[in-house]
Amino acid sequence: MDQAPVQKQVGTGLPGPYSVGRYAGKLQDWMRERARVQLIGEVTGVGRSKVQAYFELRDSDGAIPCAIWLNDLEKAGLGDGSLRDGAEVVISGGLDYYPGGGQASPNFCFRATHVRLAGEGDLIARLEALRKQLRSEGLFELQKQLHRPRLPKTIGVVTAETGAARRDLLAGLQRRGWGGQVIWGFAPVQDRHAAPAIGRAVQDLAARPEVEAIVVTRGGGSLADLWAFCDETLCRTVAMLRVPVVSAVGHERDKTLIDDVAAVACSTPTHAAEAAVPLDCLAARESLERCAVSLRRAGEGAIGTRSRHLGALARGPARALQRERAALNQKIREIRAAAERGLADRVASQTRKGSVVLERARKRAIGADMEKRRAALRRAEVALRAHEPERTLERGYALVEGVDEEPLTSAAAAAAAGEVKLRFADGRVRARVSGDGDGDDDRER
Amino acid sequence: MATETTTVSDSPESYEAAVERLEEIIDRLDSGQSGLRETLDLCREGRELVKYCAAELDEVGEGLKELRLDDLAARLEVGSEPS
Repeated sequence: MDQAPVQKQVGTGLPGPYSVGRYAGKLQDWMRERARVQLIGEVTGVGRSKVQAYFELRDSDGAIPCAIWLNDLEKAGLGDGSLRDGAEVVISGGLDYYPGGGQASPNFCFRATHVRLAGEGDLIARLEALRKQLRSEGLFELQKQLHRPRLPKTIGVVTAETGAARRDLLAGLQRRGWGGQVIWGFAPVQDRHAAPAIGRAVQDLAARPEVEAIVVTRGGGSLADLWAFCDETLCRTVAMLRVPVVSAVGHERDKTLIDDVAAVACSTPTHAAEAAVPLDCLAARESLERCAVSLRRAGEGAIGTRSRHLGALARGPARALQRERAALNQKIREIRAAAERGLADRVASQTRKGSVVLERARKRAIGADMEKRRAALRRAEVALRAHEPERTLERGYALVEGVDEEPLTSAAAAAAAGEVKLRFADGRVRARVSGDGDGDDDRER
Repeated sequence: MATETTTVSDSPESYEAAVERLEEIIDRLDSGQSGLRETLDLCREGRELVKYCAAELDEVGEGLKELRLDDLAARLEVGSEPS
């Protein structure tokens, strides 16, 4: 900048002072030399003059005043009323500065030469950048680490008061048989006021000690409609809450940033009801009934089984004794049978042995005895022969016999017989006894 | 001898803790490995847990109650919020 031909100010040491008009002109030149870019944001405070439209373009981080000549706006081909508060637009242009004049006020703005409504692609690109940023800060994990009670007694819900999402959520809760307490935090769910209002509602609900889970829900729409749920400030707020948040924004294909930071993301309000109250109360009651029955059976069974077992044990000794007795009797029978078999065998064996011995003895005895007997017989034969009457008769003696040939061994017997037989060695002769003298006389004669 | 687990908790810290313990008890009883004393202790503890869980379910079984956050905030401001 050219040095002004004025005296140097003493004290500050800065150059100048300069003429403000010239300075403003130089500032305008400098700004217009800045790079031309595209900006995306939400339109607010739309106004028009005879030659241009002006508005602010803002997002959660800041805002910038913008202006577009009406002829450029017409060339953009937006429909009537498209440039309105809350519209997400992309503008192309660069910095501009109007230095003003003696009567006119200066003005700074982003001079747009083209404007279009933001498309899905623009929003998705912004969303992805935010998503990347928040993920890198670890904000996606904080909520997911929170404990979610299976049976909360109080839940908070942030949604539009008149939306279908409210009705669907209630129906989902009732289908699970849940009849706890719902605290509604009603908030707009679609415009630039939505995100701050939703943020305040979730914070207020989280501050209540009885609230155990918070549901944030709304129905489907375009990404632009759901853009409030991609608000960076809202998402940072949700991520830092100590109460688990269940998000159910849009439909299954809609993936907003609040879904990323929430503890659970659901595709519908009905699913959000299931996530907020994980326990199906109706099924839980049935399950509890079964548990109670199992416990009762286990208790009764434990006693019944054991008492039967004890009974069996009590009868055990008698049974054991009976078994032992039977076993013993069996052994005795076996022993007897074995003994009998053994005795018979031994007797037979002994008999066989005795027979053999006896036979041998008999044979031995017979041999020796026969010799003796033969010798004795021979001696007896000799002795007998010596005493045979015939041997005496052969020597000349006669034997007196009766007529019946019985020997008469006395004189009296012969006298009494009268008639006798005299037996000689060569035969018998009859004789008559005469005389009546006694034998003494005869023997004396 | 196996160690018998007969820890009796006076008051479960939550419904899910009670259900988890109840499932442990049922599994233990179903295994048939618990002795008589342990079985009776487990049954007693289980009955207490069933009673606790039923009471918890009863608390959310009497019909949905709806409140508005702004009403609660207003009551809080005038100090008339019901407990």
